[in-house]
Amino acid sequence: MSPYFAGIDIGSTMTKVVIMGDEIVASIIGPTGPEHRKLANKVIEEALIKAALSFEDLAYIVATGYGRINVPFADRQVTEITCHAKGIHHLLPKVKTIVDIGGQDSKGIKISNGKVTGFVMNDKCAAGTGRFLEIIADSLGVPLVKLGEISLTADKAAEISSTCTVFAEHEVINKLSGGESVANLVAGIHESVATRVYALVNKLKIEPEVAITGGGAKNIGLVKALEHKFGFPIVVPPEPLITGALGAALVGKEVYEKYASEGLVPTRSGHGLEEARLFS
Amino acid sequence: MAFVLGIDVGSGYSKAVVCEDRSIRSFAVMPSGGDYKEIARTVATKALLEIGLSFNDVVYTVAAGYGAGMVDFADHSLTDISCHATGIHHLFPSVKTVIDVGAQFSRAIRLDNDGRIANFILNEKCAGGSGKFLQTIARILHMNVNEIGDLSLTATNPVEFTTACAVFAESEAVSRIAEGAAPADILAGLNKAMASKIITLVTRVSYAPDCALTGGGAKNRGLVKAIQEELSTTVLVADEPQITAAFGAALVAFERIQAR
Repeated sequence: MSPYFAGIDIGSTMTKVVIMGDEIVASIIGPTGPEHRKLANKVIEEALIKAALSFEDLAYIVATGYGRINVPFADRQVTEITCHAKGIHHLLPKVKTIVDIGGQDSKGIKISNGKVTGFVMNDKCAAGTGRFLEIIADSLGVPLVKLGEISLTADKAAEISSTCTVFAEHEVINKLSGGESVANLVAGIHESVATRVYALVNKLKIEPEVAITGGGAKNIGLVKALEHKFGFPIVVPPEPLITGALGAALVGKEVYEKYASEGLVPTRSGHGLEEARLFS
Repeated sequence: MAFVLGIDVGSGYSKAVVCEDRSIRSFAVMPSGGDYKEIARTVATKALLEIGLSFNDVVYTVAAGYGAGMVDFADHSLTDISCHATGIHHLFPSVKTVIDVGAQFSRAIRLDNDGRIANFILNEKCAGGSGKFLQTIARILHMNVNEIGDLSLTATNPVEFTTACAVFAESEAVSRIAEGAAPADILAGLNKAMASKIITLVTRVSYAPDCALTGGGAKNRGLVKAIQEELSTTVLVADEPQITAAFGAALVAFERIQAR
C-alpha cells in the first residue's frame, strides 16, 4: 500500500485538513476553536474517517498556520507562506503571485518553481482582511457567504471613505440610513478591501498568473473588485481554503520520499492521537 | 470686563466655556449626539445658566471642532487645532508638543516658542489611537470608559498586545480574558498599545518637550502614564483637559473684541 500524508492548517478562523496519497483522498474544513490541541485531534480523526484510513496509515504529518505549534502529533511545522506556495504550485503551476485573504490577515506571496521568492503580510490592521468583511456583513444583517452574490446586483459601488474597520462600520450604517442600497454598500466594501489588498500586494512585483486563496477567494464580488485593481484575471482554485493544508501534506510527501530514496524513514513526533489528548 | 463664549463641537462630545476676559467662569460638556446645531445651543445654555447668564450677556462667540460650521450663533469659527494651540499656550506656555486624544481622532500639534502652530498631524484613518479604542474595550469589560485609567494603574502584570488595531485588540482582549488575565492587566496593556500608536504621531511632528495631553483621553491616567513612559518625560495635563479647545476658542473671542 502506498503511504498517506496529512497536512493540517490551523488558521485564526478556520482549520483545514488534507489527506493525500498520490492524490487528495479527503479534506475537512471547520471553524478554529480556542483549544487547538483538542481541535487538531478532532479534525484529523474526521478526515481519517472520511478517507477510510487509520492514524497509523499516515506516514508523515505536517502542521501549518497560526496554530501550528499546538499540534503535538505533527512531525514537522512549516509556515503557511511556504505551504500556500507549494499547494498552489501543485494545483496551478503557472501561478507567480498569490493573494491570500484570511480571517484575520492578508498576504501576498511571490513564487518561482513552487519556491517562495517574496512575501508581504498585514496582520496588524483589520482593514483588508476577512474580519473587515465579517464586521460589515454583520452590521448590514447579511450572511458573510452571501456578500459576493449580493454585490453583483449593485448598480454602483457606494464610496466608503474610511479605511479603519471601526469608522467604515459607522459610515456604512450612516449611508444605509441615508437610503443607500445594501447591494451598493456591499460592492463599496469590496472596493475598500480590494484597495487595501492591492496596496499591500503591490509592494511585491505583481506578475501573472495571479491566484487567490483563503476565505476571501470564495467571495466573487471581492475577486471581481481585485481583478479590476490588478488589471487582469485572477485564478480561483477549486477549493481555495485548503491550499495551505494541501501544501503541508505535499511537504510531508517530499520529506518522506527524500528519506525513502535513501532507503530510510524520517523521524516522527512520537505522539499519537491518544497521547495528545492528555495535554488538553 | 466682558463675557465671551468658546464652543467646541467634537465628534464625541460638545464643550462650552464661558470666560470673563481671559478667566474661565463656567463650562459644560455633553455628548454631541446627532444634531450638532441643537447640542451647540444646549451646551452653551448650560454653561451660561451655571453662572446666571443668558446669550444676551455674551459679547463674542467663537466655535471650533468637527461641527463648528453648525453653530449658527457663533460670530466666528476656527479649527479645533488652532484653538487647542491657543488654549494650551495660555495654560502651559512652555509646551511645544500637544497630544489631543479625542473620541474619533487623535492629533499631535507642534508649537513654536510663541505658541504658534509649526506643524500638526491628524490620525483620522485608524481608530487605534483614539477614544473609540477605549470605548470598544470598555464595552467588552462591561465598565465605564472613565474607570479604565484608575483600574489600569493597579496592574501587576500588563498583558502585551500585538496590535493597536481596535478590532484585533478587542479579540485579543477577549482571548486574554478567557485565559484568566485580570482586567487591570488587560487595560494596562491596552493603554500601552494605544500610547505606542499615539507616539508614532508625535514623532512625525518632531517632538520637543514640554508635552501636554488634551482631550477626553487625557482623563485616562493609565494612558498618561503609558505616554510618559514612552516619552521618558512628564506630560502636562490640565485640570479639565477636555475643554482645552473650547477655552482656546473663548480666548480668541476675547482677543477679537480687544482688537475692535
